[in-house]
Amino acid sequence: MSEAVIAVSDLSVTYGRGGRTVHAVDGISFTVSEGECVGFIGVNGAGKSTTLKTLMGFLFATSGEALVWGQPAGTPESRLRIGYLPEVALYYPFMKARELLELYGGLSGLDKALLRDRIPEVLAMVGLAGKGEILLKQFSKGMQQRLGIAQSIIAEPDLFIFDELTSGLDPLGRHTLRTLLLGLKAQGKTIFFSSHELVEVESLCDRVLIIHQGRILRDATVAALRAEGGTRGLEGFFIDLIGAAGGPQA
Amino acid sequence: MKGRAIRFIAGTVLRESLRRREIYVLVLVACGLIAVILGFDFFGIGGLTKFYREASLKVMGWTTAFAVIVLATRQLPREMENRTIYPLLARPIRRVEFLLGKLVGVLLAGLFCFALFMLIFLLGSLRIQATVPWGLFLQHMYLQLAMLAILSALGFLLSLVVHTDAAITICVLLYALSAVLATVLVHLYAYMDAVGRVLLQILTYAVPQLTLFDLSAKAVHAEAWSPLSWQIMLSLTVYAVVYTGVYFAGAFVLFRRRAL
Repeated sequence: MSEAVIAVSDLSVTYGRGGRTVHAVDGISFTVSEGECVGFIGVNGAGKSTTLKTLMGFLFATSGEALVWGQPAGTPESRLRIGYLPEVALYYPFMKARELLELYGGLSGLDKALLRDRIPEVLAMVGLAGKGEILLKQFSKGMQQRLGIAQSIIAEPDLFIFDELTSGLDPLGRHTLRTLLLGLKAQGKTIFFSSHELVEVESLCDRVLIIHQGRILRDATVAALRAEGGTRGLEGFFIDLIGAAGGPQA
Repeated sequence: MKGRAIRFIAGTVLRESLRRREIYVLVLVACGLIAVILGFDFFGIGGLTKFYREASLKVMGWTTAFAVIVLATRQLPREMENRTIYPLLARPIRRVEFLLGKLVGVLLAGLFCFALFMLIFLLGSLRIQATVPWGLFLQHMYLQLAMLAILSALGFLLSLVVHTDAAITICVLLYALSAVLATVLVHLYAYMDAVGRVLLQILTYAVPQLTLFDLSAKAVHAEAWSPLSWQIMLSLTVYAVVYTGVYFAGAFVLFRRRAL
């Protein structure tokens, strides 16, 4: 049995909104093992981003526990080997792509000499070769998303957490990303990502977690879910499952 | 605590300040002021030149303070609104390091702006062969920087409590009213009963007396003033460190467990 890179146990995250209490995540438990690629799917507001943000320490658990590499989620020690891509992020418009990667690489502990070689390599990997000296205010949304992926891989982490992986990417960008993720998978890296693109999830993941209204409805391998979905595959299974649970607004 | 993380974050704040155009507008203001100084000298109105040098030194101080207040109060809300904070805090750094990096960055930007002003002021003063009392002048620069540290920390704290615009307004009001407040409190004290006097004392210590850090008049009318003793300078340094520390600690307490 591989080591559990992510171990979530009875995790609840509650916050107040407009005078009422929202149970964004309601007692979920799951693990992600080393070398696994796990997709995290659910409708909007299901609790995906809340869970991922809790793993990164941006939100705090109301109860339960989340461990990353055996360390409490959110501690600098737990983030030592994580590459994170936020759902939507802007990058400093006054910086050049190279400077931004120097900043993130430097904060991850990489030295200048190493970054000098690593930055052009990473930019090429995400399809931004030769764009290092361009100010980010001139970057399109898709280019910003590619840069987001570049910043997440700059320090060669062992665990990748991506929130809405393919958001803002054109078909070519998705292809580049898919190739990149397959490469990371082949290297034995652990990948945990949320996405609305079920075809993407189906083609990349070993296992899928389906979350709905803050609770895990299903935790199974892609092969098992595909079999249950019949000819409609994972998407068919997902639609039936959410429908049976009362639909997105239930 | 990692000095490296603080250095990287401070460098980003400084880079942003230098690449935005605001700072160059401020330098243009300074150049305008110096031009007027030289203009007065050109017409041979020596007395007015002295007055104008004092006024321009004050305006430079106010402008830098305003720039630092705006920069400090905008830092955290803008990071959160634009979500640039996520990739930063996804690194193995602590929130206190992030906050310290921001504070150091704002101070460096303030230092750059103020040093530029002072350079222009000095060049202008030397051009009209005015005496520069180096001791008082350097003390003035040092104390202004100490005051900027207090304002920056206060700006961070307020930006975590109220909306950015409100935080800027409160900071500017505290800075602007500092001189008036000190005088008013002294006068009011004579008319207050015991409870009132306690309240006034609390107010005196709750609001930093920022005028203590302004030596602009002394630095221009140097014939009447000597440089401050090291004991006074040390006291003022401790005063600034305590207020900066208290405001920064308050900001950290609010930011430490803030949901992002």
